[in-house]
Formats: sequence, C-alpha cells, structure tokens
Amino acid sequence: MTFVVPIGPQHPALKEPEFFRFEVRGEEIVDVDIHLGYAHRGIEEAFSRRNYKHNIYLSERICGICNVVHSTTYCQAVEQLAGIKPPERAKYVRAIIMELERIHSHLLWLGIAAHQIGFNTLFMLAWRDREYVMDLREMISGGRVHSATNTIGGVRRDLKTEHIPTFLRGLEKLEQSTNYYIKLFESDRTILARCANLGVLSKEDAIKFCAVGPTARASGLKTDIRRDDPYGAYDALSFNVATEREGDVWAKGMVRLREILESIRIVRQAIKEMPGGPIRTRVDLQIPPNETVERTEAPRGELLYYIRSNGTEIPERVRVRTPTYGNFASMKSMFVGGTVAEIPIVIWSIDPCFGCNDRVTLVDSRTGKTRVVSFDELRRRRK
Amino acid sequence: MYSKEVEALIEKQVDDVRIVDDRCLFATSDKLRFENILHALRAQKVTHLSAITGVDTGNVVEVIYHFDCQPAELNLKIPLPKDDLKIPTITEIFPGAILYERDLMEMLGVKVEGHPDPRRLFLPDDWPEGVYPLRKEFREKSK
Repeated sequence: MTFVVPIGPQHPALKEPEFFRFEVRGEEIVDVDIHLGYAHRGIEEAFSRRNYKHNIYLSERICGICNVVHSTTYCQAVEQLAGIKPPERAKYVRAIIMELERIHSHLLWLGIAAHQIGFNTLFMLAWRDREYVMDLREMISGGRVHSATNTIGGVRRDLKTEHIPTFLRGLEKLEQSTNYYIKLFESDRTILARCANLGVLSKEDAIKFCAVGPTARASGLKTDIRRDDPYGAYDALSFNVATEREGDVWAKGMVRLREILESIRIVRQAIKEMPGGPIRTRVDLQIPPNETVERTEAPRGELLYYIRSNGTEIPERVRVRTPTYGNFASMKSMFVGGTVAEIPIVIWSIDPCFGCNDRVTLVDSRTGKTRVVSFDELRRRRK
Repeated sequence: MYSKEVEALIEKQVDDVRIVDDRCLFATSDKLRFENILHALRAQKVTHLSAITGVDTGNVVEVIYHFDCQPAELNLKIPLPKDDLKIPTITEIFPGAILYERDLMEMLGVKVEGHPDPRRLFLPDDWPEGVYPLRKEFREKSK
C-alpha cells in the first residue's frame, strides 16, 4: 500500500512555488510527479509583442539570480541576427559580470543547502561571503542583483581602473572562504551524513534525460557550453571544467564550489587581459527575416535562446529553454528509492529556479486515488 | 561533430541546409525521413537534445529540434501543415524530450503521437480545450 505525500506548491524546500506529488511506501519514495507552471507568465509570447530594446529588460526578468546570463544570451542572439559584432572590451565586461553572477548564485545555493541540512552556521557564513560579490556587482553595474548592464551591441557600463584594486581584494577574500568551504565539504560529518549517497543521478540517466550544468557535471558528464561552444570572451579565457563522479548531493555541491574557484580565475584573467576601446556599437534594430540559436552556460547549466526576426523591430518568435527546465526530466531518478526525509535537499540539489497559483490535490480517503481540482470547482464544492 | 560533418551525415535526409558557422547549422526535413535522421544522430553518439521549439508561421507550424552534436548545434526543422498537426514522439530515442513534447502539445496544439504522458505541463488544468497560446490565432484574438 502506498501513500501520497503532496509537497508544495508553497515552499517546497525553497521560497518558490512548485508542486511535487510523492508516492511513498513507508519511508521509501516509489514515484514522483512534478506539476510545473505555477510561475508561468507567458514570457515567450510577451517577447513577440515588444520591440528588441524592450525585450532586453524582459529577458532580464525571467530570473532574478541569473539575469545577466539571460540578457547576455538574448543580446548575443540579436547581435547575431543583425549581423554585428560587439566590441572586444564589451565581451570581457560581460564575462566578468556573468562569472560574478555564477559565484553569487553558487554561494546562495550553498547557503540554502546548508540550511536544508540543519547546518545554519554555514548558511550564515556563505551568505556573508555572498555579500562581497554583491558589492563587486554593485560597483561595476550599479545594481546588486539586477545589473542592467547589457544592451544590444555591447554593454552600458565600463569597468573603471580605480575599481580594480577593490575588485582583486574582494576576489581574494572569496577565494579564501571557498577553499575553506571545500575543506569543510570534504571533512565535515554533518555534511557527509546529509549529502553523500543521497539523490544519486547516475551518468547513464544524466545522459538519457539530457541533464545540464552542475547537475550533469556532478554525474561525471564533462559538459560546459563555455568550453564546448565558446561565446563572447570565453574563447580567450582558460579554465577547467569541474566534474565529480558520484552524482549525489555532495558531488553537486562540490562541483559548484570548485566552479566558484574557476570563476574567480576567469574574472582575474579577464581583468588582466581586458583590451581597451569602446564598449558598444550602434545597431539598426529593423532586423531582416532571419533566425538564430544562441547557447550559454548559466549558473544552472545550458541556457538556449532561439529568435526569429521578421523585418520589423519586433521579433516573430523567441524561445527560451532555461537550465532548470532541462533538469526536471532527470529528477525522478534522483528521488525514487530515497526516503521522505531527504526530499528538501534533493529538490534543492539541482538548484531549481521556478517562479504560483490555483490548484489543490485531493486525496479520496476511501479509494486512495488522487486528482487535481481547479479553483472554480473547489469554490462550487464549498457552496 | 562540426557543422560540415553533421551536414555530411544527414545530407540525404534533408532538403536544405544552412550552415551559420562551425558550430551551428539549420536543416529542414519532413516527417517521413525524420526517424532516419534521429537514428543516424544516435548512431554518432548524439545524446543531448537541447530543446524543442514550435513556431507558428501562418498555415504551417514549424517544429524545430535542437540537437547538441558536440560541439555543433543542429537545428532540425519539420514543417507541419495546420490541417495535419501530427508528429511521432522521439522519447524512445531521446528520453529527455518528454517535457519539451508536452510543452509543444499544449502551447501549439501539435499532436505528438505515442507520447507516454500527454498531460499538460505549464497551463492550468481549467485552461479551455483547443486554445493554444503560442498560435497566431490566439495572438489575433487577444490583441
């Protein structure tokens, strides 16, 4: 006899809405069903009702945490459609803010993961260190989270020479603390007990379900768009792709921590090798009919934009495939066979990013069957 | 595989190929030869499907499969006329397509035949039948 444990849509491990329906036998999870769409805002359709300039801001608002990588991907795609190349310096500024974004996203992940496993000291420490990155981001772009730096044809703000010493000092601090977290991840008993061998995604399943980003890399898949299909300044920057073999929550954390170190390396390199010159070029935004696909490596994995233009200043179609969407298919194999107690940390292990609303699951106590009812139906039943 | 190698692999199965650069190409095929391409890609160890996009162009819905051929991205287009919006599922060959195909069905009304779990994905359960938000008709109506 199995029971159904509904988790969400409010606060399923994190403060974003998504609904998980777990089927459990005793403590063991035998099946999971995920209901998406609580934060579906119709953004793809909204793209084809706004002009290219307005869409920069729309793309930035798909996700708060990875706003820079969204706008960079969008701008790169439009640049490709219009057949123009942004100045070299702009590519470096983009790389710097994207890597800062990765660092802050991974530290945020570490903090919440620590909170999930009841290690609140580490949560506080990780979020304290995240403030260093936020300060650097504020310095370069004027915004702690939303940078609004990207524009079609380059960037709007430049990295100033007088900021560089502060920048390097900030990176120094981040490097020290990341090294400490890595040591902690390798040796701390609480972390090992709550993360090792949990939510395992095998390499075969990662390949089968097309997993992306740190989730795939933690299962031993060496995939990274920055290396495989380099964009912007990444062709000229050297870095390692961090991978682990275990595929469990621990490995997913370790991959992210090691990526922070690589990102720090990239930012240092970019600051050193950054060419001079202008930071943006002018673009005519009446783009003739054309289509393009642009892929980037967001903090959570491969991000894909497909844009088709139609000769006007409004795109015909914009398709966005975010990394979390790519990772949902592989989630089932992480849960099945696990226990109820590990649900929050396993959900969090892929670093999901959802955006909420109108349904409830009812379990019929006589038959044990479940079904979803709409808000209207629920209101009718109450009468 | 780079763009040229991907082109050589699928040349006979596609009508026109547009190579954007070394790592990006577009190709158009049809439903009949679609499966051959999938098997050919699979035989070359292409395992990653990045996404599926549907574009309403008026009388035709173009379904675009984005395959990551390491490093080239193959964007394979299958145009489907609106009076016959059916395409076989690719989940047997690329299991990662499961959610993208559900998305395609609810947003554009393309019937994916043989899909193991053809429920809605993002739209609410009380969304009316037969209304597809990414269709041109929907855009006209909601203006």
